[in-house]
Amino acid sequence: MKHLQKNIRRIAILLCALFVLLASYGAYSISTYGNRWFASSANTFARAKKKDVIAGSILDRNGVVLAASENGSRVYQEDLAARKAVVHAVGDSMNNVNNSAESFFATYLYGFEMSFLERAGCALKGEARRGDTVQLTIDSRLASYVASIFPSGKAGAVVVMNYKTGEVLTEQSFPNFDPMNITSAVRSDPQKPFFNRAIQGLYTPGSTFKIVTAASALENLADIESLSFNCTGILQLGERMITDAGTNLAEGKITQHGDLNLKKAFQVSCNNTFARVALQLGDQRLRKTAEQFGFNDNFLFRDIVVENSSYPTANRNEGEIAWTGAGQSALSVSPLHMCMIASAVANQGVMMEPRMLLAATAHTGSQRAAFSTRVYKTPLTKERAAVLKDYMRAVVTSGTGAAAQLSGIKVCGKTGSAEIDTQENTNAWFVGFLDEESSPYALSIVVEDGGGGGSVAAPIARQILSWLLDHGY
Amino acid sequence: MSEKSLKRARLEPGRAMLLAVMAFFFLGFFLLAMKDGKWESFALSLIVPAIIFVGTAGISRLFPSDRLLLSLTNFLCALGVLVLYRLSPQRGLAQAFNYGVGVGCMILCTFLVRYIAHWKWLTGLMMLGSMGLLSLPLLIGSETNGAKNWISIAGYSMQPSEIVKLALLLCVAYLLSQRKTVWTVLFSGACLMLLMLQKDLGTALLYFCVVFVMLYAATGSLPLVIAGVIGGAGAAWAGYTLFAHVKRRVAIWLNPWADMSGAGYQIVQSLIAIVNGSFWGVGLGLGNASVIPEYYNDFIFSVILHEFGMVFGLIVLCMYLFIIIRGVMIAQRSRTVFHSLLAIGCSALIALQTFVIIGGNIKLIPLTGVTLPFISYGGTSMVASLCVIGLLQGVASRNAAGVTADRELAMYGGEQP
Repeated sequence: MKHLQKNIRRIAILLCALFVLLASYGAYSISTYGNRWFASSANTFARAKKKDVIAGSILDRNGVVLAASENGSRVYQEDLAARKAVVHAVGDSMNNVNNSAESFFATYLYGFEMSFLERAGCALKGEARRGDTVQLTIDSRLASYVASIFPSGKAGAVVVMNYKTGEVLTEQSFPNFDPMNITSAVRSDPQKPFFNRAIQGLYTPGSTFKIVTAASALENLADIESLSFNCTGILQLGERMITDAGTNLAEGKITQHGDLNLKKAFQVSCNNTFARVALQLGDQRLRKTAEQFGFNDNFLFRDIVVENSSYPTANRNEGEIAWTGAGQSALSVSPLHMCMIASAVANQGVMMEPRMLLAATAHTGSQRAAFSTRVYKTPLTKERAAVLKDYMRAVVTSGTGAAAQLSGIKVCGKTGSAEIDTQENTNAWFVGFLDEESSPYALSIVVEDGGGGGSVAAPIARQILSWLLDHGY
Repeated sequence: MSEKSLKRARLEPGRAMLLAVMAFFFLGFFLLAMKDGKWESFALSLIVPAIIFVGTAGISRLFPSDRLLLSLTNFLCALGVLVLYRLSPQRGLAQAFNYGVGVGCMILCTFLVRYIAHWKWLTGLMMLGSMGLLSLPLLIGSETNGAKNWISIAGYSMQPSEIVKLALLLCVAYLLSQRKTVWTVLFSGACLMLLMLQKDLGTALLYFCVVFVMLYAATGSLPLVIAGVIGGAGAAWAGYTLFAHVKRRVAIWLNPWADMSGAGYQIVQSLIAIVNGSFWGVGLGLGNASVIPEYYNDFIFSVILHEFGMVFGLIVLCMYLFIIIRGVMIAQRSRTVFHSLLAIGCSALIALQTFVIIGGNIKLIPLTGVTLPFISYGGTSMVASLCVIGLLQGVASRNAAGVTADRELAMYGGEQP
């Protein structure tokens, strides 16, 4: 009987522990993911509740009204081009765009944050409840400008952010659509206009990933900067072959870079060298650096939902590791995350949390919420960030990114031409930033099926950066 | 102090609690009645408190019983009726009926445990009966949600595995108290096989865990624990590889958002309903949790969180915990190995079943189709859960009888007056 009682006591502790587990897991998951669940387009309860509330307006950073409620319906900017340009950031009243301001900030816009007293006050006065006004970090004029220069007919994304504060000036996806006239053609468009490529589109980073590979090499391999590599154009690893852009074996064309150091290899984007660097690093060290930059992390930013980036974790062969060093092979990253990576280099190795919400204000004028800036990660030391910045500067002054150059202004960047599956065509990438104390802006551009990053994406970057400087940024 | 006044003094807090519980449900149904104006709602606002009264005060008049345990159980049952009635009046009325029948069966079970002294032949009979009942769905059953675990007879459908639960508790407790470990393993193994054949893996998991807990209580051996964990893991792996619907459920559990309007719809809607409820709930009658498929059965706890809020949900969780702790205390106090094992088995069953289904609701573990004891819609489930409490009460009343005997022994020095 004594034994029995002792055993029963142990069982009782176990059973109680199960209940503690239930309660603590519930509390944890609701506090971490609750706002994302609430904002989901599948939330029919919130949608029904919205009918009783006059939704608040959405403003851009300069106070331009991007969305407002008029006579029970939602209206967006009058100018067609302007409202199309910001549609993915702002969203539409039917929540076709996932995690846009209209859905992710619904808790403010539709007055779910109102206190009991405020609700009671409205009920007593017989007034309809008014949601909060939400001000975004977006600049509507910039968005319109970007939309006007983005290659027409192409899909892709553009992100511009302040690398010191993390404020996102624009996050745009192409093709876009008119939120006030959603036609069946838009719904059935194979390019999926509702899909927000800037934060949800997962792309192969291509050569832009060489920033991460170079960061890993600087951290882990001593004297890597003084080493010399010899690029013969072709590196055979098992069944896989590492080649450089421009190589076409059928036509007998082989791109060779000859003798070069890491900086030069970065500047001309030599796959051959970076493949060898990746092999020297090994999968584990390269993955560790990538994870320091946010790969494989569960992004839980406070006011913007970004798809998680991934660095493959399965055991891989040499050919795959080598291609990873050059940014191919099973890597995936969103344009916004790539912009954050460039930002970390620009901001002395400190990666800021991206932000979309400037302020939420109750209709009485009192401020409901305003978030402070927050550091997300510090993937680089100051010194390594300075070296990488120098490399990225060289890309623009005399490398693949020359088309992004602005006279008298320090532009840094990295191009990428990422292969899509095994097709001939490539996605054009450019990530970069202004290395100017008073204009701390980074950007990231993807043009799907666009061709070379240097020839297609870099000129867009130059135009955007020059617009920023012209408009007081 | 005379025996009678002692008893009264002890019962006071219990009586206050009973009144509070009755008032809660009177007001709950009255609120719904004011909203819909139906006579059924007004009737329920009187009937449900009446059942609660019979189920607590009534029973404790028949024999000494654990009143806290009874009040909590009745609260949860009535909560189920209230929530179901609010979402689907037809189901609520049926559940009120189930609740009434369940209280009757609970009393019956208490009598069985209280007055039956010889379980040997009964155990043999129950073992045979269990096998027969569990085989029935395989022969004449109908398939729902991938499992074939229901039978219908003359228009009434039932789930034999719910009834067999009771037999399992009694048989395993008896066999273990007689140190017949081999028989225990054989019998429970056979039950598990039959459940696996029905593809009712949720219930199989529950049976396995309960028998395992009882085995541990009886033997306390470490090798057994290790063997059990390995066996359980092996069975889980086998279930995963053999059954397509298990694989599907695991995939949904890992990421329900990947297909939130298709396969993941149920769990996604459950999570959304929970956050919509927030701390204090949207209010009784004001929610829309019926968008969750199977809201009345597997997801009733999400409905409660939605309408009453997380704070109340936590209180409900604590109620289950109190029931379990009371059960454990009854097990600790019982005088024979059989009754002690029976009580710990009953407590473990309620605890594990609650954990498995609520864990599924909040995405802690993959969803299994077991019911939430006392609250989920369904006659068999309600009756079985209340019978489990009946068994516990039976043990409690035996303990109380033992205590009285001791006291008499102390008072009169072993001589009968």
